[in-house]
Amino acid sequence: MPRLMLQHVTAAVRLSRAGELRTWGAAAARAQLPNRRQSHTSSQSHAHSPKWRPVSVLDEWVAKEARPISLRQLMVFGRSLTESRLISSANYVRTELPTRIAHRIRDMQKLPYVVVTNKHFNEVYDLYYTAFDTFRKVREVKTLEDNDRLCATIRTMLNAHLTVIPKLAMGILECNGLKDAAELDKFMNTILRSRISRRVIAEQHLALTETFHAPWFSPGAKLSETDFIGEVFLKCVAKDVVSHCGDAVLSIARHAYGPDIPLPEIKIDGHLEANFPYILSHLEYIIGELLRNSVQAVVEKHQKSKNKPPKPPPIEVTICESNQHVIIRISDQGGGIPRESMPYLWSFSKGPASKEILANLEQVPKMAATMQELQIDNDDSNNKNNKPTKKMEPPHSHHLHQKYGHQSAQSISQERQQEKEQDDRAKYSSLASLSSRPPNLRLGMGLPLSRVYAEYWAGTLALHSLEGYGVDAFLQISKLGNKNEQLTTRATMDAV
Amino acid sequence: MSSTVRLIRFPTALRAIAGPYSARRASSTLQNPKKDASVAHHHRSQTHHHHVSYSETDDAVPQLASQPIHRLSLADLVKHGRPPLSAEALLSSARFTLSLLPIRLAHRIQALRNLPYIVVSNPNIRRIYNNYQHSLSTLLPWQGRTISNLEDEIRFTEVLAELVQTHTDTIPILAKGFLECRKYISPAEVTRFLDQHLRARIGTRLVAEQHIALHYSSSPHFDPSSSPTPCPENPGYIGVIDTALRPASTIDSCGSFVADICELNYGVRPEWIINGNPDTTFAFVPMHLEYIITELLKNAFRATVENGMNKSPVEITIAPEPPSSISTPVTLSPPSISLGAFNRDHIQPLDDNAPGVTIRIRDRGGGISADVLPHIWSYSFTTFSENDDDNPPGAWSDDALSVISAASSGGSSIAGLGYGLPLSRAYAEYFGGGIAVQSLHGWGTDVYLRLKGVGRIE
Repeated sequence: MPRLMLQHVTAAVRLSRAGELRTWGAAAARAQLPNRRQSHTSSQSHAHSPKWRPVSVLDEWVAKEARPISLRQLMVFGRSLTESRLISSANYVRTELPTRIAHRIRDMQKLPYVVVTNKHFNEVYDLYYTAFDTFRKVREVKTLEDNDRLCATIRTMLNAHLTVIPKLAMGILECNGLKDAAELDKFMNTILRSRISRRVIAEQHLALTETFHAPWFSPGAKLSETDFIGEVFLKCVAKDVVSHCGDAVLSIARHAYGPDIPLPEIKIDGHLEANFPYILSHLEYIIGELLRNSVQAVVEKHQKSKNKPPKPPPIEVTICESNQHVIIRISDQGGGIPRESMPYLWSFSKGPASKEILANLEQVPKMAATMQELQIDNDDSNNKNNKPTKKMEPPHSHHLHQKYGHQSAQSISQERQQEKEQDDRAKYSSLASLSSRPPNLRLGMGLPLSRVYAEYWAGTLALHSLEGYGVDAFLQISKLGNKNEQLTTRATMDAV
Repeated sequence: MSSTVRLIRFPTALRAIAGPYSARRASSTLQNPKKDASVAHHHRSQTHHHHVSYSETDDAVPQLASQPIHRLSLADLVKHGRPPLSAEALLSSARFTLSLLPIRLAHRIQALRNLPYIVVSNPNIRRIYNNYQHSLSTLLPWQGRTISNLEDEIRFTEVLAELVQTHTDTIPILAKGFLECRKYISPAEVTRFLDQHLRARIGTRLVAEQHIALHYSSSPHFDPSSSPTPCPENPGYIGVIDTALRPASTIDSCGSFVADICELNYGVRPEWIINGNPDTTFAFVPMHLEYIITELLKNAFRATVENGMNKSPVEITIAPEPPSSISTPVTLSPPSISLGAFNRDHIQPLDDNAPGVTIRIRDRGGGISADVLPHIWSYSFTTFSENDDDNPPGAWSDDALSVISAASSGGSSIAGLGYGLPLSRAYAEYFGGGIAVQSLHGWGTDVYLRLKGVGRIE
């Protein structure tokens, strides 16, 4: 198992053959063109009449329970991989995905008519229904060729569903007042958790298939326990993730604010060796969102202050490791959170700020596919430096292998072959793209979404605001996979 | 451990809250202070031995307890104006106080009556129950009367002073009682009762103390030396409220006090630094802040010392909230040179959205472990195991903190797991603030104390 491959989930930017930074988004951008046009022409949603579909098929699938898979099972699958295990994994995915999607479709069907006919919700509903219809028709996987076809379908679906999160977020905002905000948040939490679980299952299977087909792989061979954590889970060194995300966020901020605005230093102290298995893209998304919030707050407060010191106060990140947890504390002096915003902090509904956030989200359907190419219009009032916008390139991504220590002996030789695949895989992660938008583009869902991700993996995310001074964010991560009892928790969560 | 028990056994802060009167009443200008005190004492020792006779309070309680408790705000306490109060303003304050207290006491009596019989039969719990019955009986004669002259007001203030005095030791007595009864009542029930009771007690005492303080700072009874609070000498005070309280000063004085104790017990003196906006002032009740800060610093200092991190000062950040765009400053007439010249008795109600202060106390004391964390807000004895039976938590004394804090010294990673944190939180929450604790186990603890002010008083 080349460890390099493990990062395919997250890497938004890959080193190309020529060794230059290349964005993966160009192809996807073209693919998304119709979507873009649509979002330009109709920014206001119109009620969409639901398409008639027979109910009975869905009923059958809703009657099935989701079959949770534990983290341990995920790992065991990969530890000693054979053709029959791969086929059995394929059939699990084949039946599990439509079951889980069916439950979510039923959830949506129970929402008020006025909500589901909202343009954005309706688009999500259609996406889900199409996915459901596609997967439920896949015949039993018996051969490796069957499996390849299934994998192709999964890839298409993963790609098509990249726009789900922004669409849902816009739907929630536009449905402001149509249904109780707490109820909508509950719905959002369920649908997002379910989405995580489906993507983990799907990506895990894709990764298993890739491993199986890799030239170095011999079926049934045990993979080294020390190196191996899982296809989806990577050994994350907290300090490296923070410093990588910090670099990326600062670079985006540098680009957005221009060269003359001093940016805060991001200091890291505490238990710098702390590491744990985690889905890197989830961790990077959460840390990226928190750091973005901090950098933006610190820079803007510093700009507004009268007798400003030459440099804004640093953002202090403290990593603390104990037996069961790793806690990452991010302390900034960006002025804290205004009282008025507090009630909406963890909600997908945004109260009075809905309008502004909706306008920002209008840019996101493009971003979801091609974040690195997001063009900020020059006349955009948010854009303080009226300079032609270049491509947004998260810096140092080409250092990813070294930084995360994913370089292995085989990886050098396999790197090129796998590049294309990995480019494909990178597209599946809309998270990386969400966190690399310019810092002043507020979407209002960074915190609630981060919390969904943190809690999905038995962690917590808490925020303490010292209004007028700054914010402390605490991300607590459970060391998954180290303790058996946590696998049960995981299994329960996975059942959504 | 004995040293740590001693460390957390310093009663001063609590005394400051619980019984400022005992020390000062001797010089009271009230007509018969000595008699009051002896009456109160007599009554208490008597009720301790005899089953209290059912009295007129029994009929009054259900009816009073059926009335809702007025939610007290800081605005209520300053609405009679800035001292020195005119006679009319003072009478208005007395009437307001009278309108609140019987209902509040009746609610407490009702709650005590709803405890299991075997619990209220405990001598300690019954002593508290009798105290409440007695206090209500002293207020009942005032029901239906309007306090309309200064003589009435003096007598009423005497009743208040006795009430404050009677209930000074409520907390340690209740703690002892519930500890003795813990086989017969679940920790959850005790916690629920105490949470409610201690919060209610804060308000009741505050209402009474406020009027007493206003009494001494009113034009008719102006007597700085008799007052339990520095209100008359200090124009910043309205009764027990300091309208220009500087948290940094409170932190420094409480800090050096706690550091003294640390030095005595551990031979080291933890350091602290104050950053953010140390010059912030806001309107708050100083004795409440002193209690909270002392408790929090005790925890932080002890953890720092025991974790061997003396070289890392405890960092205290003071963050005043910026004035909200929607809130308007509260206007109070300035003290007039000609006494009693308050133009209006009732000022505009204060803005409940008024900006407050957030204080963060950050230590490197190693944090709180995951198994202790869920219990930090419970009253220590509720989490005792049966094994602790042979080992009663320290000697019982009248000093609340020793009772309470000793109970928590059994190897937990922070001190004062007794009443310290839950009671501090009760004080902070009383006016809409709060306390949050964030532990980084293996590193340190951040405590966030948010206090809501009454806004600017001009």
